[in-house]
Amino acid sequence: MKQLFRTIAITFMLSVAASPSFSQTGKTETYPPIDSDALEQFGGPEGVRNWVESLFYYIMLDNRINHVFREFGNIERQIYLNTQLLQLVLGGNEVEYQGASMAAAHADLGITLTQFNAVVEAAYNACERIQLTYEACNLMIAGLAPYKHAIVTR
Amino acid sequence: MEEAKRNKFPLSKGAALFVAMLASSISHGDLFDSGKVLATGGVSMIDGAGGGGITPWATITGYATKEGINGDLHYTYAPLANYTLHSVGAAVGFWDRFELSYTSSSLTTGSTFDTVGLVTDTLGGATGSLAGTPINTGIEPFNTTIDMEVIGAKVRVFGEAIYDSDNLIPQVAIGAFYKNNKNEDLLKTLKADKAKDWEAYISATKIFFPINTLINVTARYTAANQTGLVGFGGPGGSDKEIRPEVSIAYLLRKDTVIGMEWAKHGDNLEGESVEVAGLDLTSLQPTLETLGLSAVAGTLTQHESDWYDIFVAFFPNKNLSITMAYAMLGNITITPDQHGFYMSLQASF
Repeated sequence: MKQLFRTIAITFMLSVAASPSFSQTGKTETYPPIDSDALEQFGGPEGVRNWVESLFYYIMLDNRINHVFREFGNIERQIYLNTQLLQLVLGGNEVEYQGASMAAAHADLGITLTQFNAVVEAAYNACERIQLTYEACNLMIAGLAPYKHAIVTR
Repeated sequence: MEEAKRNKFPLSKGAALFVAMLASSISHGDLFDSGKVLATGGVSMIDGAGGGGITPWATITGYATKEGINGDLHYTYAPLANYTLHSVGAAVGFWDRFELSYTSSSLTTGSTFDTVGLVTDTLGGATGSLAGTPINTGIEPFNTTIDMEVIGAKVRVFGEAIYDSDNLIPQVAIGAFYKNNKNEDLLKTLKADKAKDWEAYISATKIFFPINTLINVTARYTAANQTGLVGFGGPGGSDKEIRPEVSIAYLLRKDTVIGMEWAKHGDNLEGESVEVAGLDLTSLQPTLETLGLSAVAGTLTQHESDWYDIFVAFFPNKNLSITMAYAMLGNITITPDQHGFYMSLQASF
């Protein structure tokens, strides 16, 4: 019995230690893995760009969160960086992410889980706006979800 | 007089005070929160806890994140072949960590026990006597009702069901119900050991976004017969056992979920007959024959089946969810094939 508990504890600690598997580059490993053709399902780099643009459209219309993004400044640059990031997450390996690390970029903002969830809602709205399937949208949600740990600091 | 009244309802007064405190904090806007993503609060299961239809999940009910409090009112209606279940209650989730629930269930048994009720009524009245022994079967000649109160509590222990897509650790919660079945006489007639009992459970829930699927596994430590609607335990006592429950839900759209559930049930009353005044009703065969009811005695053997359901849950907004299900509950006491539609409404504030 003791042995069993020890095994469970070690497995648990190992998986917790392994969990921030994304690095500065933004690559995420999910369980189960994201489809290999995820980027195609998104309509390639152009589809990703469309999605990020409509994401920011919904974010800037949402009174719960738009002020946070306005503080970042330069929405155009944010759209550019997020497009790069998302291409990486969806498997477009030729892209090199030029943004700061997620944790560093969000450290001072004091983002709450409620605000993070508001962005997730905007993400689903953006998917519908660009006629993306719900299934493809969830691949993106799976890839970005682990950033919650780095982004939500309050 | 005023004093007596006050002492009589200390609990309801306390509850009223609690609700008033909650309402005032909500009005301040400090505590109230509805920051979860649509549908991620789950629906209300029949015992009142946040979860699926028949199984409690590790999710905390309502739309509050760790920043606040949220809750819901719920109502479930399940018209089966021989029974109709109404279940109404309220639940509150605190900081996405802790959940309290209260539900009052009412199971009208339709014509199921009418024959038994008629026989005992004919023999000596519902509270009369049989051969000098007082009878109180808890069964009326028509439309016997079983009422049950359920108080529930749940604590999220660890894990994150939604956002931890980069590991396999589920969200895990432990919880308990205290169930008080009001029709003790009927439970005695059906040979259940207890009318009041507690049960405990541990649930693990996880969403797998790449395959749009939510999986919940629950182990419930209980002695319940038909979730307690037919009491707890049987002639062999009321030792609890661990029974598994599984829910699998497919996320069809951001506001629509379909799925199925299975809950293992016990066999405390398996093969038991109905008992009246210490006598198995089968031993009343001659009497029943005299009354022209010879076919009845043979059908008075109880069985219990595992519960299954298939469901579709629709979340038009964060204030309302509508769950439609087809419940396959099998044998319930002396009646087989208890299948039927199930509707559950949940209003969140």
